[in-house]
Amino acid sequence: MDELINPNPVVHERRATQRHNKPVHKQTSGSSLGSGDREPIDALEIFEHIRDINDPEHPYTLEQLNVVSEDMIDVDDARGRVSVQFTPTVAHCSMATLIGLSLRVKLWRSLPPRFKVDIKLSPGSHSSEAAVNKQLSDKERVAAALENPNLLAMVNKCLAGPAGAGAGASVAP
Amino acid sequence: MDPFTLEPIGALSGHDDRVWNVAWSPQGDMLASCSGDKTVRIWSRRQPRPSEQWYCSAILDQCHTRTIRSVAWSPTGRALATASFDATVAVWELSSGVWEQVAELEGHENEVKCVAWNPDGRLIATCGRDRSVWIWESMPGREFECVDVKQGHSQDVKAVTWHPSGELLVSAGYDDTIKLWTYDGDEWGCAQTLGGTGTGHESTVWDVCWDPVSRARLASCSDDLTLRLWESRAAPTSTPASAPAGAAAAGFVPSRPDLRCAVTLSGHHRRTVFSLDWAPTGLIATGDGDDSILAEEEASGLLTQPGGQWGCWARVAKAHGADVNCVRWNPAEPRLLASCSDDGLIRLWWLR
Repeated sequence: MDELINPNPVVHERRATQRHNKPVHKQTSGSSLGSGDREPIDALEIFEHIRDINDPEHPYTLEQLNVVSEDMIDVDDARGRVSVQFTPTVAHCSMATLIGLSLRVKLWRSLPPRFKVDIKLSPGSHSSEAAVNKQLSDKERVAAALENPNLLAMVNKCLAGPAGAGAGASVAP
Repeated sequence: MDPFTLEPIGALSGHDDRVWNVAWSPQGDMLASCSGDKTVRIWSRRQPRPSEQWYCSAILDQCHTRTIRSVAWSPTGRALATASFDATVAVWELSSGVWEQVAELEGHENEVKCVAWNPDGRLIATCGRDRSVWIWESMPGREFECVDVKQGHSQDVKAVTWHPSGELLVSAGYDDTIKLWTYDGDEWGCAQTLGGTGTGHESTVWDVCWDPVSRARLASCSDDLTLRLWESRAAPTSTPASAPAGAAAAGFVPSRPDLRCAVTLSGHHRRTVFSLDWAPTGLIATGDGDDSILAEEEASGLLTQPGGQWGCWARVAKAHGADVNCVRWNPAEPRLLASCSDDGLIRLWWLR
């Protein structure tokens, strides 16, 4: 068995999120755009899509490890832009690319195709920040990686849902 | 208002996944496209002319097991080469109306990203994720033999293209550089590297193309959102707008390239510029990750701009429903442009 990259991660509780803004949002969009319009996508909705992605190494979700958080998500619904910054638990995390890939795939599967998604490490969070960011923004490398059955299986494991997270907590070292 | 317009004249659907690359046959009567769906489609023009109705006349499949990234016609238009993420390159020939795979080029360690036939059809250049550029020679009996492997790039090589003279091969990629390779009678060597801190592109170079008129200037496009134009150090530093197009050719010898970045075009693209193509009309078309197609040109007699300024003269926002991966001018109809996209479509445009 390989040694863990971060043997002792800090685990946070799954936060209860509430849509405080939602009624306000509805009103504004309802009055300005007409009732037939779809609701704009916001940072909380993006967060809901990615919070329960499993960490590749630990039996916790990306939210529980504070790898992703709502305030690190930017959405411009009108222009179709989503930007997600993530923070690995340790600065030399070799799983950073896999986490980024999982975020990209999850949002690609969840969002309408009109959205351009940028996935980046939060500034200063990784020793190879520029290299990882460049790889994650290269669509050709991402496409090639996702044709690799082993890598795709690892991504799908991360996306398999929080099933392992709650139960796994007791198995954690 | 833009002085030119790219008018949409058709959309070709059929691919089941993103379309990565399109290539016109040298006669301009066929278009080949390749896709993440692991097929190549050949599109032909309905007769009689001047019809601009195109239809899928052939599907080349059951060969590559992964994405087909790049497709190139031989100079005669009778053969096609395809490069795939499955690490192979296939050569196809049209015989009595049917496309047949006649050769397979194996050697790259993993994804092959671009393939280019040299002007006399004797050599094929390929490049890929294994950071190498391979040169293959056509042998009797439809065999291809690897004659050289170049390891100059420090990363993924995205594009290869030949100078129209055949004396110079250009490669570019993820290491932000462009390399110029020449033949010394024995092997191919790197004659010049364009790039490095402060002297070239600041991120991945996705595509490169020669000026088809002067054959002395190279254009490149990049993830750094710019286009760069490279010309001979011996060329006059500022070409007057009235000068003939050949003025830039002064001092350029393909076998002894000495290029420098003469122009950087920035501010036109908001996301990665994936593709460019330089037409004999002087217009450079570009396709980007913002779903847009642009046409850029040096102000000429047509457009009276002082000092020969480069500018963006036509812009199609939302040209596709997703990233534009490739744009190519038709060699026989210099106003006909083909584009392809992650939306799975190929679109045809007419320049007015």
